[in-house]
Amino acid sequence: MLIVLFGLSILVFTMLKLMPGDPAVIMAGLGATPETIQSIREKLGLDRPIPEQYWRLISGLFNGQIKAITYHTSVWAIIFERLPATVELGVFALIIALLISIPAGLLSAVYKDTLLDYGVTTMALIGISVPVFWTALILMLVLGVVLRVLPVSGRGATIGPWSFLTLDGLRHLVIPSVALSSVLMAMNARLTRASMLEVLRQEYIKTARAKGVREGVVIIKHAFRNALAPVLTNVGLQISTIFAGAVLTETTTAWPGMGRLMVEAINRRDEAVVLGLTLFLAAVAQVSYLVVDLMYAWVDPRIAYD
Amino acid sequence: MEYLLSILLPSLGHMYRRLWTRAFCILGVVLAHGGILWLAIQKGRFALLAEKIPKRYAGGYWFSTLMLLGIFFLIWVFALVDLWRQGRRREEIRGQSYWSLVWRRFKRDPKGISGALIILFMLYLALFAPFFSRGDPIKMDLRNYLKPPSWEHPMGTDNFGRDILDRAIYGSRTALGIGAVATIINMLLGGFLGLVSGFYRGAADAIIMRFLEIINSIPFLLFAILAVSIFGSSIPILIIILGIFGLQPARIIRSEVLSVREEDYILAAKAIGAGQLRLIFRHVLPNAIASLLVTTTMSIGVNIIVIAGLSFLGLGIKPPTPDWGAMLRDAQEFFRTAWWMAIFPGIFIAVTVFGFNILGDSLRDVMDPRLK
Repeated sequence: MLIVLFGLSILVFTMLKLMPGDPAVIMAGLGATPETIQSIREKLGLDRPIPEQYWRLISGLFNGQIKAITYHTSVWAIIFERLPATVELGVFALIIALLISIPAGLLSAVYKDTLLDYGVTTMALIGISVPVFWTALILMLVLGVVLRVLPVSGRGATIGPWSFLTLDGLRHLVIPSVALSSVLMAMNARLTRASMLEVLRQEYIKTARAKGVREGVVIIKHAFRNALAPVLTNVGLQISTIFAGAVLTETTTAWPGMGRLMVEAINRRDEAVVLGLTLFLAAVAQVSYLVVDLMYAWVDPRIAYD
Repeated sequence: MEYLLSILLPSLGHMYRRLWTRAFCILGVVLAHGGILWLAIQKGRFALLAEKIPKRYAGGYWFSTLMLLGIFFLIWVFALVDLWRQGRRREEIRGQSYWSLVWRRFKRDPKGISGALIILFMLYLALFAPFFSRGDPIKMDLRNYLKPPSWEHPMGTDNFGRDILDRAIYGSRTALGIGAVATIINMLLGGFLGLVSGFYRGAADAIIMRFLEIINSIPFLLFAILAVSIFGSSIPILIIILGIFGLQPARIIRSEVLSVREEDYILAAKAIGAGQLRLIFRHVLPNAIASLLVTTTMSIGVNIIVIAGLSFLGLGIKPPTPDWGAMLRDAQEFFRTAWWMAIFPGIFIAVTVFGFNILGDSLRDVMDPRLK
């Protein structure tokens, strides 16, 4: 896990160093004298050897001393300022997705090869085929412009860093989270269906049916419980998908989260923010993978870690 | 006799032999291509002669025309070969190889067939874009600024007065072209890494797997964004970036190799002195090909979505080159007034990717019945 983060930091740092455009020049602005540029470069440590620059950037990220080049605050401050918005978006999208996809996947597996099943699987395939930013655009168009029931973009009123606590904020949250959830919904519905079908093939289901257990009980108590475990643990693996979706939906709906921060920071050549954000995201993803691994053992006692 | 008829017009030979279904299928295909040819001749004669087509498009015209003639030739050859094969002993034992089984199952799967048809449609749109479009996808025409859909412009016009339908038709070229080439690189590179890592294990395996873990630790889209902002976003660079960072096939091949390498027939092959290359190409790859094909189809779809996403963020294909994602980016600014700009390019993306996804899904079903 640490090796992955270390390797990632080196990879991203190298990519940032290859990026054309000198941050010092961008910071100094138009018409700056070579002396000012040079002094900024010295202040940022851009005149040092590359390994030392890497070390300064990384250690600075950890002790919070390194400042974002263009935002005038520390990198962590700016990331944590944007974090709640993305967490809110991701969590809501995930809740919507799970609430719809799990029953849908379950029904589609139970009524396999019926019209219902075809409907669900087709919808799921459409869901993974449609780009999230287009879904967001269409929702903005239909709900915001044509029907005028929801605000088109932005975040609305907030209490503290959270906007779902206010009605206005909640109304702003609908479009981005539904758009983001469309992909998750489709993925999880397919997963639930596959996992459910897998379980229904098992011998113990046959046994339960042979014993004369009612079909509803077999499906809910015997099959569904076991089928749910892989689906829920897989949510941890979807962090990447959620963030990639967030980059696009946040840009489309002007939602001030980390995804938009990433795009902004890259456009401004702010390497400290880009590196910090990337590492933060990767660390979150790695932790969630670890949790998934541990959860496997917890939900399925057959797997043991020693 | 029937061969002569078939040389004259494919499908006549089949009719002569009363193979009606085949005859009508072939006739349908020939007529459809004839339609395209008719369009091509119309466009070509009126437009090229009247110099309505700028010089820079003339090359594209000739290329598309050549492709069309090539396809005609293929149909013609196929009809003759098919006629000859149908003429041989009818009651000969049908092949029972894995692939003929797969093909027979595939033919009966409506999902796969419709996916293939969608892809074929989009492919033709891309190949013969100059024949289907009615104007210049790049030239601005400010008199037609933001016109809603009408007979003249079925999908309306954009903020530079360009026809959305024309731009969407040309947009299929960038989407499919970059998507397909990037996926081929994914397969070759990923396949190679997966083979090395699964076959030789040891240090190579450890290094490759760590590398893949690093790449997988943040979303693919982020790497693409980073890389594009470093190296610029010309089309070859986009292809290379997508090709290098989409290494999912490596894992699939690796697990496939790992499951196969312990089999007894590998041991047997080794025992009779089969070389490593022979082991890889004769024994390991054929086992992996099914899952590889499924991944290929699906990753073309994924790559198309990523390209669209990059262009949508303004990091992919730059205007004025027609591209679906870039068109949606333009639409963002005007979507309060010009809904048609936001809707139609998205439909093209969704339909194309949907085509690849259902084809991939169906391929998985037909190639590996265990998974159904």
